[in-house]
Amino acid sequence: MTHEAAHPVAYTPQQTWFARNRSLLIRHGVIWFFMLIILAPLAWVLLLSVKSLPDSMRGQLWPRKFDFTHYGYVLGKIETLPQNLFNSIYVTGATVIITTLCAVLAGYALVHLRPFGRAVIFTALLLSLYFPTRVVAIISIYELQDSLGLINSTTGLILPYVTLNLAISVLIMRAVFQLVPHEVIESARLDGAGVWKTLWFIGLPLVRNGLVVVLIVNFVTAWGEFLLGSTLTNDQEARTMPVVLAAAQGGMGQWAWPRIAAVYVIVVTPGLIAFAFAQKLFFKGLAEGVVKG
Amino acid sequence: MQRPHTSATARHLKDNLGTWVFLLPTLLFFVGYQVYPIFRVVWISFTNYEFLSNDPAQWVGFGNYVEALNDPLMWDSLWRAAYFTMMFLPGTIIFPMILAILVDRVQQPKLQTLYRIVLLIPALIPSTLVFVLWKWMYNYQVGPINYLLVDVFGIFTYQNAPQWLGGTALTLPSIAVMEVWWGLGYHAIFFLAGLAAIPKEMIEAARLDGANEWKVFWHITLPRLAPIMMILVVLRFGTSMAVIDEYLIFGGFNRASPTYTWTMFMYDQAFNIGLWRQGFAAAIGMIGAVVMIFFVGILLYIFRPRG
Repeated sequence: MTHEAAHPVAYTPQQTWFARNRSLLIRHGVIWFFMLIILAPLAWVLLLSVKSLPDSMRGQLWPRKFDFTHYGYVLGKIETLPQNLFNSIYVTGATVIITTLCAVLAGYALVHLRPFGRAVIFTALLLSLYFPTRVVAIISIYELQDSLGLINSTTGLILPYVTLNLAISVLIMRAVFQLVPHEVIESARLDGAGVWKTLWFIGLPLVRNGLVVVLIVNFVTAWGEFLLGSTLTNDQEARTMPVVLAAAQGGMGQWAWPRIAAVYVIVVTPGLIAFAFAQKLFFKGLAEGVVKG
Repeated sequence: MQRPHTSATARHLKDNLGTWVFLLPTLLFFVGYQVYPIFRVVWISFTNYEFLSNDPAQWVGFGNYVEALNDPLMWDSLWRAAYFTMMFLPGTIIFPMILAILVDRVQQPKLQTLYRIVLLIPALIPSTLVFVLWKWMYNYQVGPINYLLVDVFGIFTYQNAPQWLGGTALTLPSIAVMEVWWGLGYHAIFFLAGLAAIPKEMIEAARLDGANEWKVFWHITLPRLAPIMMILVVLRFGTSMAVIDEYLIFGGFNRASPTYTWTMFMYDQAFNIGLWRQGFAAAIGMIGAVVMIFFVGILLYIFRPRG
């Protein structure tokens, strides 16, 4: 319900268009101001990545000369970069797949198979959200990884990464599976479909939106994780992109500003593209699983 | 079929076991990397455990806790975390709420969708990439913020241009601004969901009764948004008291820096100094966590659902 509609005013023809639409203009003006603040840093880094080297040192926002070669340079000339990029893709991919599988199975079981002790599991998962485990327990996680021989192992990162969002993922899947009527699952079972078939062909398509939320939330966390990544690995070759980027000091040579900006754009783009495709499902899932759950 | 009772029980048991197969992967990870590390770190906090030392750890009771609580740095570092939270929390609630109320009134569906997509973009940028981006934004050499302040508006000169990061007095406010930016859209999406649940007739009726914008906001919109606001306050209070990545990236291990909070104190002791006094570090971490959870508990009590 808009302001205008609630206050029907008899407009006189003398009033200008601006006077009549004043509140509308102010509203959109303020919204666009916020939008500008949100987008400006990203636009700036994108612009920086295509500036010529001298222009990048001059400070002006708009470059005199564009240079699009930085992307090719960083992928070809910085030796460890392809390895770091691969590490990130590998660790994030594995984390997303494992966490999502765990969450789908557990969410489904908690709602539709109703195992003994489910209330205890639910409470434990919920309580864990309030405890800063990643920060406080980093000492014991380091010890655990050390005893498993996983310090400085890229693969080893996957284990603690899975738990970063496991509890919230299970709770989201539980919330969206609760929207699936129990009769739908029951009738599939009575028709002779096994537990797994029911989950795969009947359950999963119905919780598609929540699944997208879980996938994206896990992707974003794992793709950007810094604390565990930098604590549990030492060698540049074993590290993931966020750790490399956080340590990079802009300056000359390999890490000249436009070049590290190009690395940045390469790292940040995949998530935004994935979201652009899944945007509709994501908003629906957010409403089903997070806001109501 | 001679003893149906037993076979039913057996089937029930088998069903339950089959169900637990679904929960097993989650439980393995949850117990292994969440429950066990917490109990383990509590145990470590009562020992003189040093990671790089060859001597076995000895039980020292509350020794580490006494030492930490007698260290002024413990209290300073807790206060720094609280100071950051006080700067960050109001901004990350109020701005998204204003933005959500404005966007909620946009009538054109296409514009609505466009605004919502833009709102969610910062939330999709992984944490460290947000920090790195703002580290460059605040940079005194190429950063656009100082470029605007010095070259465009001429408020400062190159000599007295503010140094935002690196442990100056401006570092915590700078991080707070960045965090507000990060949550701006995401929190607005939460508020938009709350606004969508307010019956339009209610607002219309209030307007017909002569309520102005301010009264509608104060008596209808705000009470309806209160539950969402409380969830955000509790969640963000917890995350902002336990910030560490930002301080590692922006501040470094200078004990006098405002970014040297209890999390940094813990990390420094556990992974940087001497033989890595992880027993002492664990006690610092537990004190920080207990203080944090104590205040979360108070917040939850204040915001408890009332009949």
